[in-house]
Amino acid sequence: METILDVQNIHTFIGQYHILQGVDVRVPKGSIIALLGRNGAGKTTTLKSILGLTSPREGKVIYEGREIQGMRSFEIASLGIGFVPEHRAIFRDLTVEENLRIAERVKGDYTRKRDFIFDLFPDLKRLITLPGASLSGGQQQMLAIARALVADNHLLLIDEPSEGLAPVIIEHMMKAIQLLSKDSTIVLVEQNFLVASQLAEYYVIIEEGRSVKSGAMKDLVDDKATIHRYLGAA
Amino acid sequence: MNTFIRKNLTLLITLAVLTALFIAAAQGMEDKDFVITLLRGLSVGSVTFLVASGFSLIFGLLDVLNLAHGTLFMIGAYIGWTVYVRPDTFVDLLTPLALTLSGFALRDVYPLLSPPRLASARMKRILPWALILVSVLLFGVILPRYPIAIWNVENYAQSPVTYAFMTDQGTRLPFPAMTFDKISPILAIVGLLIASLVGTYGLSLFGKDTQHATRWSWKSFIGFALLLIIALIGFLFNNALTQFLANLNSNWLFFIAVVVAVSSGAGLGALMEATLIRPLYSRPIYQLMLTLGLSAIGIEMVRAIWGRPEFVMPKPAFFDGAGEACPATTFADWWANHCSTILLLDGRVRVYNEIFIPLVGIVVLIAVWMLLQRTRLGMVIRAGVQDREMVEALGINVRRVFTMVFSLGVGLAALGGILAAPSMGLSNTMGESLFLNALIALAIGGLTNYPGAALGSVLVGLIQQFIIKYGQIGIPIPFTEIIFKPTPPLVPASTVLLMVIILLILPNGLLGKKE
Repeated sequence: METILDVQNIHTFIGQYHILQGVDVRVPKGSIIALLGRNGAGKTTTLKSILGLTSPREGKVIYEGREIQGMRSFEIASLGIGFVPEHRAIFRDLTVEENLRIAERVKGDYTRKRDFIFDLFPDLKRLITLPGASLSGGQQQMLAIARALVADNHLLLIDEPSEGLAPVIIEHMMKAIQLLSKDSTIVLVEQNFLVASQLAEYYVIIEEGRSVKSGAMKDLVDDKATIHRYLGAA
Repeated sequence: MNTFIRKNLTLLITLAVLTALFIAAAQGMEDKDFVITLLRGLSVGSVTFLVASGFSLIFGLLDVLNLAHGTLFMIGAYIGWTVYVRPDTFVDLLTPLALTLSGFALRDVYPLLSPPRLASARMKRILPWALILVSVLLFGVILPRYPIAIWNVENYAQSPVTYAFMTDQGTRLPFPAMTFDKISPILAIVGLLIASLVGTYGLSLFGKDTQHATRWSWKSFIGFALLLIIALIGFLFNNALTQFLANLNSNWLFFIAVVVAVSSGAGLGALMEATLIRPLYSRPIYQLMLTLGLSAIGIEMVRAIWGRPEFVMPKPAFFDGAGEACPATTFADWWANHCSTILLLDGRVRVYNEIFIPLVGIVVLIAVWMLLQRTRLGMVIRAGVQDREMVEALGINVRRVFTMVFSLGVGLAALGGILAAPSMGLSNTMGESLFLNALIALAIGGLTNYPGAALGSVLVGLIQQFIIKYGQIGIPIPFTEIIFKPTPPLVPASTVLLMVIILLILPNGLLGKKE
């Protein structure tokens, strides 16, 4: 299977702290892959290292056959990588429409993708003139995902999409993510194992800054020992 | 609506108290005094706003407290003055300046050149420094020999004070023609170009970690070509250009002075951000020290070039009419004669200081507001103020936006400087008091809030002018015979007092957002 993103043994420092101490992630094109692990294991840092927000000091990040480690974040993103960060990072002072428009990489992106986005998240359509600050948590999460869809992205990095959301909304979000995976590859960081296991085809477990185990999700679901050991949950 | 009132109750009460104070202050004086005081307040407020808004834009997006902002305001004034009073100096400077900057215009091209192959790592470390040294030496040899007509600070008859006075009297001293007697012109021009290219290439070798295969296009050379053309025009048509500017009427010359001051400010800002501030984004304390140091250096440079004594900048003819029909009584009247003053409610109002400056202030307020609200750049700025990382993650080159905003902010300060020059005069200290005003205005209005900057600036201007006026006419204290006259030291103290009171009630300023 074709690999769209290949993270090879990256080491990332934040200040003087050695956060990632060798993470490998291989992402097959068109799949959903979940990064699993406990709080503080380095999942978010892995996403940020891919995107160059925290540049890895060692190792390689190969995206569509091209080494991207050390490039500036905006250059990496421009290659077609969308980012949905933890806590959504909606621009609070911008309206919903502006939040989407700002993600245009080519003029007219928003106009072209508008219908698709509002089909996916009908709620956003009626909120279009409101400032980002007035949205509820679930609406903000939808907007954050929608924002990553405005430009032509082949790879989406989604961090904790279910965090702090009501079960009904989580379900809606999961459907949306499944729909998106038809057209793009998704790397998902998810604390909620139930959500992750239903969405992802592959997984990588990160423990104390190292990738310790990876494989197909369907094998992990039955492997109670591994789940218990690395994720703490049953 | 009810929730709006409940949420902003403190703010509304504060504003109501301020309005009541304002009305009370207005009751205490005659109409003509009130009109003049109000307009003066708006004028001071406008200039303050130009400095404050730029400072606040920069701080909001870049998190840099640019302590040199007041100095840049002053430099804008001095540069504008030079164009206005000594156009020959300005024309002489065009060529060397354009050549010096030409190298910077190629900064997108340098990273694409393959780095020089050198044997040892040590050579690689030394190379940039060696190139910069060569460049500095070349500049050092050529620039002092390059003929630039300039005043003489040491000699009173040729000092800026005299030139300013003569221009004000309408009798310009003749401008000397440019003659290359210390260096051959070809050598000077080629030398400066080489010095610039070598120096900027040396600078570009610093901190280059990875090579990216971005391609150059003809666009990368536009700036370079433009600067070369300016340099050539300045060189070939030097005398003709000087004569043209000298014979221009003062309105157009003033307009050119404003344009040059603002663009120099913007250019200086861009250069400052790209070379000095950028390496220090992760070290805020160093930024403070750097900008404070730059401020001191700027003041000393102005002292060295233009001298310590204060001097005036004559107003353009458009605002400087005199004669039988003056002061004008109606605006139609004024338009016909361009009187320097106009009678409003029996008060003699100076048109340039008290009407033109506030008008420019309003125009800039609206223009920048439109830029922030209606353009993509503005959208990126507003988003970046909140979360730079996320903006970058969307594929937007935030660093370029940083440079633009820094440039815009300094450009606004320079605009304030050149606008204020004809009314305040030029002095080495004009930046300091204004910068302090601007800081107080921002604290009052909300540090990174654009309308807040405007509101704070106007409040500071009004309070100062009303206190000054009441210093002349006195405030009768109720139920007593005492008439209280605020003394001059109370003028700055009053704004600080207002700031303290407002910060006690609303810790984020009037319009600042809660963190």
